[in-house]
Order: sequence, then C-alpha cells, then structure tokens
Amino acid sequence: MAVDELSTTRRWVRTAAFAAGLALLLAGTAWGDDDHFPFGPFRMYSTADDPDGRVLSTYLQAVDTEGRVVERVGEHEVGLRRAEYEGQLSRVVDDPQLLGDLAETFSRRHPDRPPWAEVRVVQTAYVLVDGVPTDEKTEVLAEWTAP
Amino acid sequence: MDRTVTRWLFAPVARARVAWLRTLLYLFVPVDVLLTTPWVAAHDTAPASLYRPLFVGRLLEHPAPTYWWVHLVQVLLLAAAVVAATGRAPRLLGAAVFVLYFEWMLIAMSYGKVDHDRFAFLVALAVLPTVGAARRRDRTPSEAAGFVVRCITTAVVATYVLSVAAKHRFGGGLPNWLESAVFVRAVLRRGTPLGDLLLDVPWLLHLSQYGLVAMELAAPVLLVLTGRRLYGALAAYALFHLGTWAAIAIVFLPHLVCFLAFLPLERLLTEGQAAEPDDAPGRSDGGSAHAGVPPGRRWRLSATAR
Repeated sequence: MAVDELSTTRRWVRTAAFAAGLALLLAGTAWGDDDHFPFGPFRMYSTADDPDGRVLSTYLQAVDTEGRVVERVGEHEVGLRRAEYEGQLSRVVDDPQLLGDLAETFSRRHPDRPPWAEVRVVQTAYVLVDGVPTDEKTEVLAEWTAP
Repeated sequence: MDRTVTRWLFAPVARARVAWLRTLLYLFVPVDVLLTTPWVAAHDTAPASLYRPLFVGRLLEHPAPTYWWVHLVQVLLLAAAVVAATGRAPRLLGAAVFVLYFEWMLIAMSYGKVDHDRFAFLVALAVLPTVGAARRRDRTPSEAAGFVVRCITTAVVATYVLSVAAKHRFGGGLPNWLESAVFVRAVLRRGTPLGDLLLDVPWLLHLSQYGLVAMELAAPVLLVLTGRRLYGALAAYALFHLGTWAAIAIVFLPHLVCFLAFLPLERLLTEGQAAEPDDAPGRSDGGSAHAGVPPGRRWRLSATAR
C-alpha cells in the first residue's frame, strides 16, 4: 500500500514541536518542580527516607458540634485530598484560619450534617530502625475552634 | 532533514491505529472524570484560600475555580470527549478535548499536590488532532499517524526514564535513594492490607527499589521491541503497576491507557474486512454484516500477521 507521506513543511513543524516538548521536559526534570506542570520532574517517591529516621504521616481530624470525631478528613468531606493539605502544611500551621475555611466547606458540602466545632492537624511520626517501624508518636500541629 | 530522525519520528503506521486510539482514549476521559479521579470535581467547593495556582495558571492569571466553572468545564469536557470518540470533526473536537482536559488538570493540580500519572495522556490528547479523518478499517500507512504513535510511546518511556533522574536529583543521588527506606514510607502512609504485610519483610521492599529503577531504566526497550516480545514487556510493566496498586492503592491509569499506542490496534478488524472499499462511516464499528469471518476471530489481535 502506498504510504501517505507528509510534506516537508509539515514534517519540520512536527519535528520542531517534538524537540520543543522534549527540551521543556528535560529542562523541567533538571531544574523545574511540580509548579511547572506538565513539564515538571516526575518526582513521585523520589525523596530518600533514612532507614534509621522518621516517617511522617499527616491527617486532619474534625469534631462536630455533637461531639462526633471525623478521623482522616478527605475529599468526601472537604473536597481536598490528604496530600493536598499536606502539601500546604506550613501554610495551614501558620494560619489555622485555613482549617476554619475547611469547616465552612464541609458545611456547604454537607448542609444536612452538624457543622464542625474543631478541626486539627494531626501528625504521626513512625520511628524506623534499620527500615523497620518500631515506635510511633502522634502530635497535634495546629488547631482551629469555631468562634 | 536528517534521514534517520525522519525515519524514526515518522515511521508510517496505519491510519486505523489513530482511529482506534481516538475511540479508546477519548472514551477514557469520562472514566477518568467520573469514576477513577472523582476528587477533581470535588474541588468545586474547595476553599479559595487553599488555591495555589501552578506556574501556567499564574501565567494565564487563572482565578480560583468556582463551583459553576468546575461543573461547566466538566460537562463540556465530557460532551466533547464522547462526540470526539466517534471520530467526528477530529481536529476541532480533538483540540477542544485537549484544551478542556488541560483546564481540568489546572483545576486538579492547583491545591498543593501535583500528580505525575498523566504526562503521556496529555501528550496523546495534544497530538491526536494532528491527523485528519481516520477510519477504523483504513490500513493506509501514514506518516502523520506514525508521528502520533511516536509521540505517545516516547512520552510513556520518558515518564519512566526521567523519574530515575528525579530520584537522583531529589533523593540525594541515586545510590542514596536506592539505600533509603522510601518504600517503607510509602506503605506506612498508604499501605493496603496486602502492603502492610510487606512491612514485616523490609528487605523485600528494599530490593523492590532496585527492581523499580532497573525497570524504569529499561523502558527504552519498549521503543525497540516488536511483536510478542513487545507485548510481553508491556504486560510486565502493567504488572508492576498492578503490584503498586495492590500495595499502596496508586495506579497510573491515564499513563497505562497510553500503552494502547504500542499495540497494532489496526488489526482489531481482520484483513478481509480491511480490504473492503465501502467503508461507510456509519458502519465503522465493523458490524456483523461481514460474513465469512467467525465472530471470535474478528476481535482477536493477530500478533503474527503483518
């Protein structure tokens, strides 16, 4: 079957686009970060945890006006995943009012459920010895209480 | 232009492959939007105070998405993708799907977490509109179709190879990353019941880090292998993603659907049907009107025929 060929111009345009995309991706890998999506580095699980260090796991905990505790708040409650507020952890710790914004979001998403009276950021630190988790410590990093 | 580059970048592929890729990848969009990553739509109520626009979002002066904007983009994207899957107006609708999906990604990734599972899928959506009308029985070898396939397959391979570069960069050097407890962390943070069992065998998790890097570095073979060897290699990579899913519930689904570009989808309809000249668009599903081909055979990938 005869090959359906591209004109020289069309080939050049495509080759240039391919080269540009590849150059952006390589530059993003070398110097960029997640901010440069979609050309940032593919950095999932790219950090190295010390086998004799600590592994941190953060989550949100809420208490509603009836005293019920919601463990591990996620996208179902507030429309944000754990990794998302974890990615903004320093902001949330510096400004606990952001937790209040999440409480407001919960009420908007779930008007039929009692509102939240408290929201806190809880962090568990697992202590590793030779790559084996031996001990864990949990602490509250930030807290917001309804006014 | 250099002949070697041209021959590699534009190695002709049957136009039918692009037709099938359009159907399958555009139909994956509703699966992605509604079933497998519903958290993107959940950003409709996310507080604007937690909106952290990406570089490209700031460049476009993209405001925090509102409830109505998220759902408008969602509905337009779903409609465009479903119609584009039929192969109608491939350039216009294909471009619309790309732009809308990119916007969907800005909504997705602008709240403090960027995922890395869909670079190849974005590339696929970007290049699919560069081919004109294509029918699922059109076996004409086409350089434009070849370019589409080359872009997608290269993006798949780059995702693996460049993630080794990222490990080297962010992990304090590749040797340090290999000797780290990163997989222990992964399982501690989001292990499934199966994954949690692995915490009792830390040496296996450690060894898997070497296995992963070996696999990622070997990915360029996917661009070289053909036939059964290629399918075997693709199955091995898919198996790795299945294992990751079983251990930590992360699956690179948009990336995985791009594996389809490696497959001779044009052979989904057998030779006999391909030879038929009357390829009416309304019958491009290869309906049962074709006598002489047993039903079971019609949909089988004939790996040996070329």
